[in-house]
Amino acid sequence: MAQKNNKAKILMIEDNIFLRKLYRDKLTRAGFEFIEATNGVEGMNKLVSEEPDLVILDLILPRKNGFDVLSEMKDNPKTKKIPAIILTNLGQEMDIKEGLALGAKEYLVKTEVRLSEVVDKVKKWLPK
Amino acid sequence: MAKSKKAKISEPVSIVAHQLKNPISVLYGYLEVLISEEIGKLNDKQKEYLIDALKNVEMMSKTVKDILDVSKIEEGEYKIKPRPADLAKITQKIVSDLSSWAKASNCEIIFDKSKGLPQVYVDPAKIGYVIESLISNAITYKSSGPGKIKVKIEKKGNKLMFSCRDNGIGIPSKDFQKVFSKFYRSEDALSLYPAGTGLGLYISKAIVELNKGKIWFEKNEGKGMTFYFTLPIA
Repeated sequence: MAQKNNKAKILMIEDNIFLRKLYRDKLTRAGFEFIEATNGVEGMNKLVSEEPDLVILDLILPRKNGFDVLSEMKDNPKTKKIPAIILTNLGQEMDIKEGLALGAKEYLVKTEVRLSEVVDKVKKWLPK
Repeated sequence: MAKSKKAKISEPVSIVAHQLKNPISVLYGYLEVLISEEIGKLNDKQKEYLIDALKNVEMMSKTVKDILDVSKIEEGEYKIKPRPADLAKITQKIVSDLSSWAKASNCEIIFDKSKGLPQVYVDPAKIGYVIESLISNAITYKSSGPGKIKVKIEKKGNKLMFSCRDNGIGIPSKDFQKVFSKFYRSEDALSLYPAGTGLGLYISKAIVELNKGKIWFEKNEGKGMTFYFTLPIA
């Protein structure tokens, strides 16, 4: 998983173009390599092919929702150890429980978390 | 406001509120980056305008959250997670968080708590919303002179009683029946702070009652109002 350029690789699976741009710029400035997917199917493919060091995952996604992506990645030996941070608009207790039960390291609600806090969480959960 | 007390937040309104969450997050993120000056220095005026924009995005975010909460309350889907909690500690944090805004608004907040208070059995985050709403209202609706807000927690039998007393503009007695109704705003409140939604006290009442407490208010002799709520001891 170590990258040629020694930068940790972050995959963001998010269908909102502006959020992707915001996180692409922020995480690149913070020294990470940033790759992205706009739907759940593309996200799952990139998890397998790119083997990122960490994934930031939305839940409401086209083609395959984030819960299914998480569940599938945890069942795949190639991707099961990749730490996942959920970043979503769903803030209901049952969604949080389900996300964490499926193995997410963090469950963050978009309107309640600052950009800089998300970067801190990324740093916290990157494999040392 | 001329809205029926029984009118529910409709499904389309809830859907729109949900759909506003992503644009709010995007605006919030861009403003956070610009204000932090990590991609370039701002002049004082630019910074001031961006901070004003950020405050408005925060207001928008709160309105969306309140609308969705009201919708959940109406559908019986609003859930609480009660556990033993220190009401004085929750209050102290909120008083500290609000103190710079209060000071800038020429308001003094005095927090008086009895010693050795027992814990209450409540959802701390939701009760925090109630405390913040009551103190924020007291700051927002202050009279023209210096504001004085007295926050107190005391033990009353098997309950703790929280009170927030202000010397603000008060509520006209003709409106007393409507205070905890959805969208209620007094005429003075509307002119002083047009951006308020009138949902805070409605949600607060629902939260206190879900936590097996009671909420009410009294008009002070002289100026202002005192809001009270009680909560069961753990």
